[in-house]
Amino acid sequence: MGSAIEVGRLLRASSREFVAGCRVSQLNAPAFGALVSVPLRADEQLYGLIYDIQIADDGLVRQLVTSENVSDEVIRDNRERRIVPVEMSVLAVGYAQNGQIRYLLPPRPPLSLDAIYLCDPDEVRRFTSGNLGYFRHILRAHDTLPVGELLASHLHQAAGTQADPQAWLQRAVQEIITLLRDDYATLMEVLSALREVIA
Amino acid sequence: MEGNTIGYLVGGSLKENFQVRLTVPPTEIQEGAFVVIETEERLFYGLITDLHLGATDPRFADEQSEMRLPPLLAQALHGQTLFTTAEVLPALMLERGPDPASPAYQAWQQAHPTPAGPIPVKTVPPHHAPARLATAGDIAEIFGKPDDRHFIIGYTREQGHPVTIDLEKFVQRSAGIFGATGTGKSFLTRILLAGLIKYNQTSLLVLDMHSEYGYDDVASDTKERVTGLKTKFPARVLVVGLGRGTLIHEQPPDFHLELAYSDIHTSDIELLARELNLRETAPTVLQALEKSFGREWLLKFKEMNREEIEEEDENGKVRRVPHPGSVAAWADDTGVNRMAAESLHDKLRRIFNKAYLVERPASDSLGQIIQALTNGQHVILSFGRHDEDLDYLLVSNVLSRRIREEWEKRADEFRSGKSKVEPRPLVIVVEEAHKLLNRELAGQTSFARIAREMRKYYVTLLIIDQRPSQIYDEVMSQLGTRISGWLGDEDDIHAVLAGLAGRDALRGMLARLQPKEEVLLLGWGIPMPIPVRSRRYDAQFWKELLSERKRTTEEKLAELMP
Repeated sequence: MGSAIEVGRLLRASSREFVAGCRVSQLNAPAFGALVSVPLRADEQLYGLIYDIQIADDGLVRQLVTSENVSDEVIRDNRERRIVPVEMSVLAVGYAQNGQIRYLLPPRPPLSLDAIYLCDPDEVRRFTSGNLGYFRHILRAHDTLPVGELLASHLHQAAGTQADPQAWLQRAVQEIITLLRDDYATLMEVLSALREVIA
Repeated sequence: MEGNTIGYLVGGSLKENFQVRLTVPPTEIQEGAFVVIETEERLFYGLITDLHLGATDPRFADEQSEMRLPPLLAQALHGQTLFTTAEVLPALMLERGPDPASPAYQAWQQAHPTPAGPIPVKTVPPHHAPARLATAGDIAEIFGKPDDRHFIIGYTREQGHPVTIDLEKFVQRSAGIFGATGTGKSFLTRILLAGLIKYNQTSLLVLDMHSEYGYDDVASDTKERVTGLKTKFPARVLVVGLGRGTLIHEQPPDFHLELAYSDIHTSDIELLARELNLRETAPTVLQALEKSFGREWLLKFKEMNREEIEEEDENGKVRRVPHPGSVAAWADDTGVNRMAAESLHDKLRRIFNKAYLVERPASDSLGQIIQALTNGQHVILSFGRHDEDLDYLLVSNVLSRRIREEWEKRADEFRSGKSKVEPRPLVIVVEEAHKLLNRELAGQTSFARIAREMRKYYVTLLIIDQRPSQIYDEVMSQLGTRISGWLGDEDDIHAVLAGLAGRDALRGMLARLQPKEEVLLLGWGIPMPIPVRSRRYDAQFWKELLSERKRTTEEKLAELMP
């Protein structure tokens, strides 16, 4: 994990999702829909998909927003040394134990201040090469999450790591349709979003 | 799995059809396709009777999503949400036992020493059993491998595998060929007759009302030359012309058929009541004629005149009385109404003057026909210029009555041990069968009786007609094999399917046959109903038929012991 990019530390967690806090300087690496991992022990790590990134305000920002002629320096200072962290919400989609990946909710959530890393392409490929059963965690949240956008973004990123991106995309689309074919509205919404990343 | 898998079983019951979800585009499958559903122990054979388009949600079908989505997404979506279900009419199943490589196979083989043939479907295959189109091997398994006895009648519509008809079964019961005008009935009949002649186990008597079958003819629609049966089987087919001097297509027949007046029974005339427009009194007069003159009644009646003579009574008064040889005189003598007798005499003039009726035929041509049929020859009776319904009804009935008597006698002698010669099976081919077998006449002609009960006397009918609904139901229900081309009329379709299982499914199939060259095979003599593209009657047909060499005993043995 030494070379992996740390994107933040855990703020709070449940079995199904967790929230990481990060500095603005770390914000260039993670993206909406990216796969992240949280090493729990040497042989166990947890995987999640970033589904939301929130930048909360604080009293100073509120003041600055209303004042005129804010200098670049002040803006930079405020961004880099803000006291409220950027919050990244992550949906738990699986875990690995002794090198074996399972698309199940983790046995226990990570603990506060556990470091969260962005998965590198190899890891993404390893995680997404299975039967794609983790899609059900995403689709289950369709009432609260922008599922179509999340899938489109994830598929776009994950396909790029595959040896045969087109074949993988086809498989992924088939799986999504299989899971959603009894829910016309959601399926059409998801397909509309996928149209942006699949020619 | 051999053959092309087309889908898998998703539902169904024995009472209704099986439903197969297609995994191939619906356009690759046609109604009437012969389908095999495989399970480990059995093969189920069935026929596609309907195809319907379905969707997991109707909205997937309603919306043209291919307009909104890129092809990859649209295809994936349609592949999972839109589908076609084929209705399969289950017909037969075949036990095939466990895998031959497994140890259980030996035990199964010992329990089933002789391979059982296909039997009616008595169970259902499990869900998701794969379905495929039948191969040539499946079709041969059900209908028989083509040989002399198993005659190729046509080919499956999709893949062109040959479908055979078991000629031995075909002649065991009466059969029928139906189809609207122009659907190729007479070509199909020629093909079948050629097959029967080649098979050589039965004799044929063709009542050829329009002189189509004997000598070469010209097709009514294409104007092409059509080979006659006599041309190809000169020694085995006899063409008989009705009436002395009759030419058939400008050629002299092998001999002429002449009937003696004494061959005509009064019942033959009763049969013609409608043709001759007979009055209600006719049967009484006919009865009296028979009583007065016996078998010679027709000749005697013909010879009667209608004259009167003058006679002087005891008072010297001259009055006109019937001539002693007149109809009236006979009527008075026998107590028959004079008007009724004279009316019948008028109406029978149409019969008296028939050229084929003579006092004393030059030869016993009826006997000659029977002799030829007994010897294994085939007789085509061409009516030539005597092709009115009246001639057809009269001559067919007289001839069939003689045949019936003759075959009944021979069969009885054979059964009682008096004769060691088994009568040769005979098929009487009746064109325009509704003229002889309609509701009105069926009870009176010999044909209905032949259809009903002559099977045990080795005589069956092959009836050819375009209006099966006009044929008496009791005769229709006796038909073992039915071969039907396209029929438009609902009543005709109903008549052809009378008494068969799966009628509703077959009805649609019959109505949607291609008007030319497609026929549906049905009935007892056919293992399961199947639509086929019928064989073409052309030079190729004759080449195939006549070059099929008879297999030697060695070859047959080699086949039995591979």
